[in-house]
Amino acid sequence: MRVVSQKISAWIARLGWVWVDGQVAQVSRRPGANLVFLTLRDPSAEMSLSVTCYRDTFEACDPPLREGSRVVVHAKPEFYAGRGSLSLRADELRHVGLGELLARLERLKKALAAEGLFAAERKRRPPFLPRKVGLVTGRASAAERDVRENAAARWPAVAFELRTVAVQGPTAVPQILDALAELDRDPEVDVIVLARGGGSVEDLLPFSDEALCRAVFACRTPVLSAIGHETDTPLVDFVADVRCSTPTDAGKRVVPDLAEERRLIEQARHRLDRAVGHFLDNERRWLANVRSRPALARPETLLSGRREEVDGLRNRAARTLTHRLDSAGNDLAHTLARLRSLSPLSTMQRGYAIVQRAADGAVLRDPAEVTTGDQLRVRLADGELGATVE
Amino acid sequence: MSGVTDDGAPSYEQARAELAAVVEKLEAGGTSLEESLALWERGEKLADVCQRWLDGARERLDAARAARAD
Repeated sequence: MRVVSQKISAWIARLGWVWVDGQVAQVSRRPGANLVFLTLRDPSAEMSLSVTCYRDTFEACDPPLREGSRVVVHAKPEFYAGRGSLSLRADELRHVGLGELLARLERLKKALAAEGLFAAERKRRPPFLPRKVGLVTGRASAAERDVRENAAARWPAVAFELRTVAVQGPTAVPQILDALAELDRDPEVDVIVLARGGGSVEDLLPFSDEALCRAVFACRTPVLSAIGHETDTPLVDFVADVRCSTPTDAGKRVVPDLAEERRLIEQARHRLDRAVGHFLDNERRWLANVRSRPALARPETLLSGRREEVDGLRNRAARTLTHRLDSAGNDLAHTLARLRSLSPLSTMQRGYAIVQRAADGAVLRDPAEVTTGDQLRVRLADGELGATVE
Repeated sequence: MSGVTDDGAPSYEQARAELAAVVEKLEAGGTSLEESLALWERGEKLADVCQRWLDGARERLDAARAARAD
């Protein structure tokens, strides 16, 4: 065993340094461990190799290596006798083309932005309730399920027009372009959702493709993009009319929430009722109040005021007249008293008498005015008597 | 809602405004008896118009509520 192991080890040790191009399939770092273990995979064939490197070497990579990163590794094959395993001992790891790739995307992004493809004023508002939702996504993908399930949960009657396409690799862009054009022509499709689950930067590349961005911009139908995870921002996200963070988010935003809409309508109805009811109640109160005011409720007050006025005048007239009669009466009494005080009656009551000649009634003041035998009338206070001159 | 409706009857707001004016004028006094009586008759008529509007509206509201409850 030892001999065989040593021989293999010696043979492998003779192999020289090589540059290896591959995709990181797995990264295993134990805290405190000085070595980092990677699994490197061929991007298009089922082949992989273990790679070990010092932590410093691993951490020298910027941006940090992740699973899915494309790398070139400068390494030497090494046989680890302790386990009988073969690995590549790397002393340098480099991202393949990613820097260049990202820089190119950044340039494209600036160019498209300058052209106005991302302009907020060019964004169209998706319809409140689309007749049909065009869905472009991978065949039997989790993205499709996420969009469908979340949309149906809010609006059970939602209808989809599905186009399944390759969502990565060289065929993705032409297929997506065809699907977009077809859905955009369909008059029933009111909104298009472009959905794909998460993936590496390279996997999401088709969704930063210039032709795709321009096609989305040219669509007459509003487009929702839902590519990858929250943090992924392929360029189509900037062009789309609405950027959804995930396919789940797109499912929620493409249709209104039926229960919520029902509730709002019910609420609006209720408020409408209450508003009209209040208005009617207020007006009724106002009308009742106006009708109960004396001017309307007791029109007789209109008359009674007048009647009092007439009565008052009549009274005044009567009073005035009475007053005048009274004073006239007083006047009369006064005059009568004066008259009476001037009459001889009071003198006669003291015992005086008036003697008149019966023949002509002349008052006698001198005995020479009569002769014997003349008839006389003697007036006393309480009557008169006849007499004859002797 | 202001102005005259299609059938020539005054609108609710119109009737209400005129009614308020009539009552105010009656209460202020200073009108001849003949004028007062005419104003009062006008007021009664306007109050009836308002009442009919409100009763009608209430009926419609109740009918709509009943229809919804079914």
